[in-house]
Amino acid sequence: MKLLQTTSLTKKFGNHTAVNNISLTINQGEMVALLGPNGAGKSTTINMLIGVLQPTSGEIIFGEKATNINDYRSEIGVVFQNSVLDEKLTVKDNMMLRAKMYSRPVIVQSLIEKFELESIWKQPYGSLSGGQRRRVDIARALISSPKLLFLDEPSTGLDIQTRTKIWEILDQLRKETGLTIIFTTHYLEESENADYVYIVDQGKVIAEDTVWGLQKKYTKNILQLTYTNGTSQTMTIDNKDDAIKILSEKGPLISDFEYRPGTMDDVFMNLTGKEIR
Amino acid sequence: MNGLIYRNLKIYFSDKSGIFFSLMGAMISFVLYLIFLSQNMIHSWSSVPDTKLLLDPWLIGGTMTITAITTTLSSLSLMVQDREKNVLADLNLTDISFLGIQFSYLITAMIVGVVMQLIMYFMMSGYFLIADKSALNLQLLPQILGIAILSSFIWTIFNLLLLSFAKKVDTLGKIATIVGTASGFLAGVYMPIGVLPTSVQNVMKYTPALYNTAMYRNVLMQSQLQASFKNLPSNIANEFKETMGISVKLNQHVLTIQQDMLIIVAFAVVITLLVILISKISRRVVISKE
Ligand SMILES: Nc1ncnc2c1ncn2[C@@H]1O[C@H](COP(=O)(O)OP(=O)(O)OP(=O)(O)O)[C@@H](O)[C@H]1O
Ligand SMILES: [Mg+2]
Repeated sequence: MKLLQTTSLTKKFGNHTAVNNISLTINQGEMVALLGPNGAGKSTTINMLIGVLQPTSGEIIFGEKATNINDYRSEIGVVFQNSVLDEKLTVKDNMMLRAKMYSRPVIVQSLIEKFELESIWKQPYGSLSGGQRRRVDIARALISSPKLLFLDEPSTGLDIQTRTKIWEILDQLRKETGLTIIFTTHYLEESENADYVYIVDQGKVIAEDTVWGLQKKYTKNILQLTYTNGTSQTMTIDNKDDAIKILSEKGPLISDFEYRPGTMDDVFMNLTGKEIR
Repeated sequence: MNGLIYRNLKIYFSDKSGIFFSLMGAMISFVLYLIFLSQNMIHSWSSVPDTKLLLDPWLIGGTMTITAITTTLSSLSLMVQDREKNVLADLNLTDISFLGIQFSYLITAMIVGVVMQLIMYFMMSGYFLIADKSALNLQLLPQILGIAILSSFIWTIFNLLLLSFAKKVDTLGKIATIVGTASGFLAGVYMPIGVLPTSVQNVMKYTPALYNTAMYRNVLMQSQLQASFKNLPSNIANEFKETMGISVKLNQHVLTIQQDMLIIVAFAVVITLLVILISKISRRVVISKE
């Protein structure tokens, strides 16, 4: 079931087109990635979807028919690229005061547990580490129990453990609540968490598919051989028969091998001719 | 809306250095007075008995106006900061309406203004009580509170107008400096209005500061005025009041405290209309969304 859809969404700043004719379809319960380099237009797209920016043209449809942010504002939660919580206030104040700004009942306690906020509860938000901040940011975005969560570069600047931790929590949330998630990233490997990926460059969607589909479409398979003498060899071979042939020819000489599709790095490289970072 | 007002208040009161700087204008006037203004004025009004007891509440009155001007500005600045840091976008996702969010900033600034004026009042009165044995008349408190609310109101609106022109956070510091310095002159605290050239006096009559101060001084100095001037001809009393900015003279007419109040209300109406007008014709405005 479609939850959010955009048709030919465009945003111009003066005569610079930041977002150019982007059409997205986000299904209920899916995790969707917007992947692209700096300045691709990811934040601008998100800002239009959450009502911060007015599209220059194009349409946004939420659920069955809501086309105005005022009609679906209460259904979404947003983790902004830059933190929007108050540095001088404690985590507790930040969370509890935001909770007070909703007229519907909200449950903060379960979020404290899920995001392990107990130990930093009384600490000023400004004194937290990057990873701790992100946990609070996400918890804040979930205060209103949204159907759809936007995360704009949730893990930029975080170490690998913290990143993994955050994705674990989000995965768990999806399992428990069927939350739909849209996130942006320029970590290619992170987009591999997604059910569906839109690759954005210079304001345009240059490719879209599942991770597997993208790898299939835009990369050749890779055969990596490890020889008994310790050396290894990598080759791109897109035909399983060729691979089998090589393997059987070199059988006695190899100790191990790997045959896999290209990574998202390769997808991006092949699409744009440049590295993402 | 309560949650947001709490938040705004907490942010203001948890920023100790911000509070300090927002009271800078008031503190300068207080220190200037202690160092030399009071000596000067006692000297020039030596014919009047108990000049010191008369001048202490005079200084308090002016400093209260400065406090109202600078603290409401400081609190209202959060509006501009929140927009620049995308906090406004986040607040917009809550169940508070856009208008509600804007009103929260205004209400916060008014509360801050009243609280800070009362704090300054007790601090200064306490000081003069100890230093000069100036009596602290608690019966005046309801009137002082009333004026504090009125001045908080007018200066919040006035500062909203100023901030309509500030889109960037760095502009805020500049505005705060200008306002902090100007307020001492406009309120007639750094120098009594009577010693200034007529042209400057006329300029001062175009801001609410003068009338605001006059109201405070009327209330705070009333009993000491009666005591000090009871054996002196009334024309000396009137001259003192006009020179020192206790009564404002407008077109040869000496205003009463009720008229001061009406003028402030009129200013409030005009400024509100200006704010609305500017928000309509210009996008560079604090209360517009984009
Ligand atoms: N308010 C604005 N005014 C003018 N140009 C803007 C504005 N906001 C964004 N842009 C431009 O639009 C383009 C896309 O910006 P956007 O922030 O959406 O990129 P992004 O994909 O989020 O990049 P990053 O990964 O660095 O966050 C950039 O060229 C940027 O300079
Ligand atoms: Mg961005």
